[in-house]
Amino acid sequence: MGRILIVDDTMFMRTLLKNILFSGGHDIVGEAADGAEALARYQELKPDLVTMDVVMPKVNGIEALKAIKAADPAAKVIMCTAVGQEQMVKLAIKSGARGYIVKPFQAPKVLEEVKNVLSA
Amino acid sequence: MMKSVPVKVEHEGKWIPTTMGIGEDRIHIGAPLDCEIPYKSMVDLEEKKNQVLITAGPDAEETYRIASVEKVLSVLKKFVITQCSAYRLNAFFMSPAIRGGVLVQDAHWEKGAIAVMKTGIWFVSQESQVCIPLGDVAGIEFTRREIQEKDLDVVKIDHLIENEVVTSFVLCPKTTLQVLYNFLSEATQNTKYDEELDPLTGQVAMLVYSGMDSSAIENMLKLSHKDLDAIYERLLATGFAEVLYVRKEIQLTAKGVRYISDAVKSPTN
Repeated sequence: MGRILIVDDTMFMRTLLKNILFSGGHDIVGEAADGAEALARYQELKPDLVTMDVVMPKVNGIEALKAIKAADPAAKVIMCTAVGQEQMVKLAIKSGARGYIVKPFQAPKVLEEVKNVLSA
Repeated sequence: MMKSVPVKVEHEGKWIPTTMGIGEDRIHIGAPLDCEIPYKSMVDLEEKKNQVLITAGPDAEETYRIASVEKVLSVLKKFVITQCSAYRLNAFFMSPAIRGGVLVQDAHWEKGAIAVMKTGIWFVSQESQVCIPLGDVAGIEFTRREIQEKDLDVVKIDHLIENEVVTSFVLCPKTTLQVLYNFLSEATQNTKYDEELDPLTGQVAMLVYSGMDSSAIENMLKLSHKDLDAIYERLLATGFAEVLYVRKEIQLTAKGVRYISDAVKSPTN
């Protein structure tokens, strides 16, 4: 089980992910609504894993991912984006993402992906 | 030369052990059916656990239910899919590519054939035989995907496998792809919709999709039981959802309260 930081600009998606991850026995140590906040919260909380939305205001998910990886190369980040933005996968993986989930998602698969990334 | 294998066939509502000959251009089912079915007369193939259902013509279409071990059914399916009367094309496919929103880690393109039948699409390669029943197709999209550093046209098919939303991709020449896309669009007209949902109902639908139950949805969206019921009614009316089961909320009667009161009393009292 892991300590997880959820990054998404919509409260609805954060709440949904929080419920899914909590039901899988994980601790949600914090939330952030944009990429800049994500980096600050990451440095403050040192979570085991981050779920990161790609499209966000101010600093987007890819930029936030790069910043987090620069600060902590061992950071485990799962990117989360909408259908049709799968092209982002390559960019995210290149930038150091450990996993990828596509919205809309189903709870069991999200938990499986989180488990895989945490245990890797 | 036919290879004979043991199978069970459904006959007058009962499963009867018999033999089935699998030949180059036909199968022969032993007694009590005792019939030959040329592959070319077959118009549909369905799979249900350890059974296959073969529908064959020429005029009065008849469906044959055949049960056997996986190995036998796999050989049978391959002959049927590659020789039956169906729209067939050579293609690359990736199925499943995404499961429940998560990319399948070992997903890869397989070279094979696609047969579009009456009730489903079959993907067949050396490694696998995958069926997508048309009734389970939730979306079709003509899109582009980066494959070996080239942006290529693909058809993306979203479908359900045991309530799990799965995405598969098909890759072939653009003209063939367009034919496949048009066929699938036509065959899945029943899942097209005109209705728009209000934002709250849309959020509830998204939560149902993600696997949340009523109690979790009420908590997340701060909805009362009655409000959620009304939203469910809207989703049912639009055909976007169906009733999975009806759960009861109860309160104790005087008899029940007495039982609980007695149960918590200390034995020494």
